Amino acid sequence: MSWRIGVDIGGTFTDVAVLDEVSGRIGIVKTSTTPRDFVAGVVHALKAAMARHGVPASDVVLLSHATTVVTNAILEEKGAKTALITTRGFRDVLELRRSARARLYDRNQEPPAVLVPRHRRFEITERVGADGEVVIPLEEDELDGIAEEIGNEGVEAVAVCLLFSFLHDDHERRIGARLRAALPGVPVFLSCDVLPELKEFERTSTTAVCAYVGPILASYVERLEQATRELKLPPLHIMGSSGGFLDVTESMKMPAMAVESGPAAGVVAAAFIGRQLDEPNLISFDMGGTTAKASLIRDGRVEVTSEYEVGADANVTRWMHGTGHPIKVPVIDLAEVSAGGGSIAWIDSGGGMHVGPRSAGAEPGPVCYGQGGREPTVTDCDLILGYLNPEYFLGGELILDAAAAEATLRERVAEPLGLSLLEAAAGVVAVVDHNMAEALRIVSVERGHDPRDFSLVAFGGAGPVHAVSLARELDIPKVIVPPIPGGFSALGLVATDLRREYVRTFYKRLDEVPPDEMSEALSAMEEMGRDMLVGAGVPEVRRKLQRAADVRYTRQAYELTVPIEDGDIGAAHLAKLAEAFHARHRTTYGHDSPNEPLQVVNLRVSAIGVLESPVLKAGGRGSGAIDAARRGTRQVYFKNAGTVSCGIFDRDRLPWCGDVPGPAIIEAADTTIVVPLGWRVGVDPKGFLIMERSDDG
Amino acid sequence: MADTIPAAFADNDPATFEVVKNSLYSMAAEMRVVLSKTAYSPILKSAGDFSCGIFDVRGDMVAQGPDLPMHLGSMPLAVKAVIRAWEEVAPGDVFIHNDPYFGGSHLPDVNVVTPAFAGERLLGFVCLRAHWPDVGGGTPGSYGTETEIFGEGLRLPPVRLYRRGEPLREVEDIIFANVRTPDEGRGNLRAQVGANRRAVTRLEGLARRHGPDRLLRIMQGVMDHSEMMMRQALAELPDGEGSFEDFCDGDGILESGETEDSPFTIRLHVKKSGDELAVDFTGTDPMVRGPMNSPLAVTASGVYTAVKTVADSDALIPPNSGCWRPISVQAEPGTVVNATLPAPVVYANHEIAHRVCDMVYMAMSGFAPNNVMACSQGTSAILAMGGVDRRTGNRYVNYEVVKGGFGARPGKDGINAIAASVANTANTPVEVVEMSFPLRVDRYELIPDSGGAGEYRGGLAARRVWKILDHTARATVCCERSKSPPFGLFEGKAGAPARIYLIKADGTRRDLNSKEHFIASEDSEIWYEVPGSGGFGPPSERDPEKVRADVRDGYVSVESARRDYGVDV
Repeated sequence: MSWRIGVDIGGTFTDVAVLDEVSGRIGIVKTSTTPRDFVAGVVHALKAAMARHGVPASDVVLLSHATTVVTNAILEEKGAKTALITTRGFRDVLELRRSARARLYDRNQEPPAVLVPRHRRFEITERVGADGEVVIPLEEDELDGIAEEIGNEGVEAVAVCLLFSFLHDDHERRIGARLRAALPGVPVFLSCDVLPELKEFERTSTTAVCAYVGPILASYVERLEQATRELKLPPLHIMGSSGGFLDVTESMKMPAMAVESGPAAGVVAAAFIGRQLDEPNLISFDMGGTTAKASLIRDGRVEVTSEYEVGADANVTRWMHGTGHPIKVPVIDLAEVSAGGGSIAWIDSGGGMHVGPRSAGAEPGPVCYGQGGREPTVTDCDLILGYLNPEYFLGGELILDAAAAEATLRERVAEPLGLSLLEAAAGVVAVVDHNMAEALRIVSVERGHDPRDFSLVAFGGAGPVHAVSLARELDIPKVIVPPIPGGFSALGLVATDLRREYVRTFYKRLDEVPPDEMSEALSAMEEMGRDMLVGAGVPEVRRKLQRAADVRYTRQAYELTVPIEDGDIGAAHLAKLAEAFHARHRTTYGHDSPNEPLQVVNLRVSAIGVLESPVLKAGGRGSGAIDAARRGTRQVYFKNAGTVSCGIFDRDRLPWCGDVPGPAIIEAADTTIVVPLGWRVGVDPKGFLIMERSDDG
Repeated sequence: MADTIPAAFADNDPATFEVVKNSLYSMAAEMRVVLSKTAYSPILKSAGDFSCGIFDVRGDMVAQGPDLPMHLGSMPLAVKAVIRAWEEVAPGDVFIHNDPYFGGSHLPDVNVVTPAFAGERLLGFVCLRAHWPDVGGGTPGSYGTETEIFGEGLRLPPVRLYRRGEPLREVEDIIFANVRTPDEGRGNLRAQVGANRRAVTRLEGLARRHGPDRLLRIMQGVMDHSEMMMRQALAELPDGEGSFEDFCDGDGILESGETEDSPFTIRLHVKKSGDELAVDFTGTDPMVRGPMNSPLAVTASGVYTAVKTVADSDALIPPNSGCWRPISVQAEPGTVVNATLPAPVVYANHEIAHRVCDMVYMAMSGFAPNNVMACSQGTSAILAMGGVDRRTGNRYVNYEVVKGGFGARPGKDGINAIAASVANTANTPVEVVEMSFPLRVDRYELIPDSGGAGEYRGGLAARRVWKILDHTARATVCCERSKSPPFGLFEGKAGAPARIYLIKADGTRRDLNSKEHFIASEDSEIWYEVPGSGGFGPPSERDPEKVRADVRDGYVSVESARRDYGVDV
């Protein structure tokens, strides 16, 4: 036996996934999250999972972890006391941002958050020009005064970001060396290490985020490593935002890379499902209480983006850029909308029906939970329509109060709009489904992908209730429900590779690129990647280096990332790069201009320590009649069919290759799967439910 | 509320209504994404100076994207101009125009209008208005101090750019023979056409899903719904009326012997009664010689932005033509707020719209004191410059905006250096400016004490300094509130006025007027200090701890703390 273990901390639950590389056996264990002491919670969860599945510590070959520590520090503004050093004349770069506001007509809007207050932002005399030449030499002696002030302020971390340091890093490096000597124990983050890339605000913001969360991540990881060593487990890995593990040492150098750790695990889990089912093109959909998230997997690869803001506000259909802190590191391309099971339905002053963005969340929760919720939510409507079984929610742990849900919806929505109760409930569900579908649309249509070429994977307890309705919105022909949709994303933690992305600005017109120079730049990054892989103990056969370039038409502002083939760069490489860019532009935006000059902006290298992708073991029952799984029938409302008598089935007793036509409801302890009229559902031997459109769906 | 259900809900299907409405707004938002990512000019791809909208068959705006409030009032006219000019509109057609006297705003704002169809049946239009960095005329950036619109650049009435999907080369060739940076222009135009195509595809998809009849009915309903919400919001405000008079710095034209252009006056009267609001500009000065004359639709955009901010601060009312039905705007033709041909207009597009918006707050402060804010920067603070980049031998045009303060609100300080009122364009990153143009930015920073003192302090302004490298540039600045600083409210003090000056290579300094075309020779520096914003409430009421914190952060000087707040630090 050789086991991989992954621990995923969420707001409410900590999920542990275990997987045996040899047999393909998996197990998922859920425990409560312990916000006061995450380390204790993780240790407890690990012990519980190892005991439940009989995993001895000596048989564990991989330990990985998705953490919310970094994101929470920013959302709760509990990061380190940080100082920032900038080029003279640019003290306010972090506050001036890009100067557009997020809310056009909101006279009460808050100023965008700034991680480092002005009195801890210091200027130093120096300047590098756009050609990388020194215009004003560094006045290194000014650092004595700055270091003293930083010391007096009790600063816990320092970020340094000078203009054009990505072309000439000497000034930042000298500042770093001198500060580290003057301020022992205070971590110093240099923008030329963190993000050697054009655009000063984004680079400063990324560096400041690293400094702000670095000390917290370091102390957390240190305590956790100590605890896991005591359990005699192998070295810890952290899930990175781009969907690969980070070696712990690497995560300390670049804490911003641990920002979307948990959601990244979910997307990787979806890609893993794709490999099991031979489905390379997937859209993953994760529905929670407050938000719904979508991301896209194409040809088995997770799509990543470097346009991301941590701590941004939400509106109904889009995350609001300009309110959070941009970090320009590769983050899985995740569209998030504020719509979920707890979203509240309400009527505006003009008689229009809305759902969200306000959510009843877990506290007080939907009206039907009977925990003090007074406003009708999506979950209440799911119950009223007959999708949820009031006696068998969370496996019967919570008895739902349908009468209360009905009374509230009638009073707040149905009567004001002159609708019947069922029409009102169906209306609320249609609106929230449309809002959630917008997240799917953003990662697919908006990026130039046709949703009809993809299958939808539904996560989260509520995801499978709404998944087919979303699939219909976008003409997605197939919906996949994994075995334990509420905890399955933890499986992503045991099903990915070790991965670190390196980026370097290489600002040249493609037709003027000296091939040797590009080869050299790539080799330098490849060497860093190789060193990282060696340091993490990855044997040579499992080391992989992938190269890419960010390219655009010379006059554009946004790049598209296109792969560069292996080998020494020559004319053929550059020509292929150009071809690939034009093609990508065409698929993304609908047009290209093959005669326009191209600009290379950044070079990228991904260093990957490949882990074999295990094959899941078949489970469940191979034979038997579908009727053996039938629990009975109940009245269920479907938009295209009205109220119909609908068969209710027990997921655990459905046989393989069973084929159930909709309308049907499949119940499991952690989820409910709704199969509308016009769709059918089958069971895969590995435990996946596959829903497909019949002719009229 | 059951008796107030609008006709749009006659289908008794509010969910479908909401779903289609959200689709219309998200397709306008998607146009924005496509344009930003594919356009060539920094003013579009980085600064975001453009607006996207979805329109009905009559040219009324059904949905505006999260774009520029400045375009609220005038975008419908851009589509109506196409409808008036061309009876026959076919699938695959694309139209273009920029004439402020025929549905445009100012010449640099180029409208691309594309109709959408279900088969041969017209569903409506999409329009993308984008600010091009240059459309010809006397100076780089087409921002000269001209005295007739004919000098301001290429004037393009609504003409076809594509006929049934086929590009018409003649029109494009005329356009690009008249602009300074044709390659850039062609890239921008392709991006506009592509963004429109994306929205048209989505609109046509909606018609397939819901049927064209239903879609068209809902499009009308979306506007009715906004009208109803706006009336409701206005009804909730106290009734009352108020007047305000304010003067603008000038029009940029120097009469012989003058060293400064002359100020002129705008007067307005606001009356809010029941669920309607009227703004009357009687008494406003006649048109001026320079480009500070505002087409009425631009003036109206300033009014609409103010009313939306006052009445619907939570932005619950979807912005479209329906919102403005309860609002009337009266202005005498031939005045600076209702320009007539051939008056030049290029500055007024933003400067008058800004001014009007802030003035409406002041006029309403007497009867709706809790819904207004102190004056913001009141200008788009533009620098347009060009010359020849010796590194490449190519001509360049750089167009930038610098942001001042966002005014203080009841209960809250203003915001530092962020776009306010009718504007929402972004800055261009310093490193992008220097990589693209032969310029070096020496400073980009907040100006201490530029926020008006008050119980709630006004937001600070920014200062940006450009050094001219290795060439001689021709530059134009266009700013306001250098003579009439941004006012405070309820005893709050005014913010700092704008100051613009040139420091020559020999160290001598020359103050510039707020609108001026000038030569900046090699190694000279252009210093641009934009206006701050007004404070709200008496400074003596400010919490001394907040004053001390402001001094610690250098937002307020020790002297100002003592003088304006009576706090010793």
